[in-house]
Amino acid sequence: MRDKLRKWREDNHRNSEQIVDVAEELINEHASKLGDDIWIIYEQVMIAALDCSRDDLAWTCLQELKKQFPGSQRVKRLGGMRLEALEKYEEAGKQYDSILQEDPTNTAARKRKISILKAQGKNTDAIRELNEYLELFVGDQEAWHELSDLYINEHDYGKAAFCLEELMMTNPHNHLYCEQYAEVKYTQGGLENLELSRKYFAQALKLNNRNMRALFGLYMSASHIAASPKVNAAVKKANVKYAAWAANQINRAYQLAGRGTKENKCSVKAVEEMLESMQITMS
Amino acid sequence: MSIKLTTQAYCKMLLHAAKYPHCAVNGLLVAEKQKEKKKDNTYTPILCVDCIPLFHGTLALAPMLEVALTLIDTWCKENKYVIAGYYQANERIKDFRPNQVAEKVAARIAENFSEAAMIIVDNTRFTMGCYEPILAIYDHHENKWKCRDCNVDCFEDWCEAQKITLALLEGRSYESLIDFDNHLDDLRNDWTNPEINKSVLHLC
Repeated sequence: MRDKLRKWREDNHRNSEQIVDVAEELINEHASKLGDDIWIIYEQVMIAALDCSRDDLAWTCLQELKKQFPGSQRVKRLGGMRLEALEKYEEAGKQYDSILQEDPTNTAARKRKISILKAQGKNTDAIRELNEYLELFVGDQEAWHELSDLYINEHDYGKAAFCLEELMMTNPHNHLYCEQYAEVKYTQGGLENLELSRKYFAQALKLNNRNMRALFGLYMSASHIAASPKVNAAVKKANVKYAAWAANQINRAYQLAGRGTKENKCSVKAVEEMLESMQITMS
Repeated sequence: MSIKLTTQAYCKMLLHAAKYPHCAVNGLLVAEKQKEKKKDNTYTPILCVDCIPLFHGTLALAPMLEVALTLIDTWCKENKYVIAGYYQANERIKDFRPNQVAEKVAARIAENFSEAAMIIVDNTRFTMGCYEPILAIYDHHENKWKCRDCNVDCFEDWCEAQKITLALLEGRSYESLIDFDNHLDDLRNDWTNPEINKSVLHLC
């Protein structure tokens, strides 16, 4: 159980209901056996409890942590999160401000303040604050990703792409960033962006040949380029080839997945038909 | 020109939203394909018989949405269905207005199906008790989306829908709900959700 909790912590899973289910039993009955792990588990459980609106459980965890670590900024931040969960944003903001007064480099408090803006729907303010934050803390990947999400929600795909470029530079082997970048470029539209998107879908596939989104993306972008009236015959021919290859791979992947299950046969068929119908529009 | 929802469609919509309380979710509604219009021009509301959960998290990216729409359209044709609506539950609890994504997708659907509806889930009234319908239904009139009152008449059988949705939420069936995103993560995940469909039938 302890190991499960550790795995969820390390993978940053947001399976709050599960954590809360497990936690009460764990804390009540096995507290003595957990040793020093118990403090980090209290923190994990508290955040999960806030997610599930279990203020009672969150309060208990917070009290235990306050007793053990009085004056800790990390615990203070948890207190702020609890106020956020109760929608007491002003009080939460003050809590974070007091942390920042003691320690202006505390990134957690700064990020929580930005989260408050996001929770209140003040997306443009959140974007502005997050940009300022990133000027100081350029290496914070979580922040770059959050910023790209905020830009996507505001439909500012150009800036979202910039954020993802930062992430790809520092994580060249991460196929997910590549693939998301390709999706943003595709959404931006226009022939140049479509070609870029196809290249990045291909790159994502190179990094992980089982990434279905990249495979579908490669198929869609190549098909759209081939169908575009603005391309010359050579480019069209090349893209028809890429799309055909992708279609083949997609069919194979579905065949593999469909083996052994009757129900999946309908998806396999639907995919085949979809790919065939798109071939017609391409030529 | 109004749509009605079956229990299965309503249930799966709410289960999808319940599975990802911290994300925006969206999906499609399908209806049975109408045969020719009746000669006496009697008005029959469109019955949305099923719901296909699509994505959670980032809804505003085009490629996977296009793949999903095309694939589901093909699937619909095989099963004599038609895509009749789009639903969305926003990320923030108090955000209940349709945004650009919702309007764009719903407009696309309306191109192929003139009586398409756009549904936004009202997160503030989403409770385990399911005491009242929590949807806002929008119809397309003269290029604008107008909100219509959603009451028990919008359901084939509200009492049944309420009872079954409550049972499935309490039983945490949403943990096994598959949306298109889950399908893309692992192709073996079936976005038609046959197990949940069976549970709904079983409880009817």
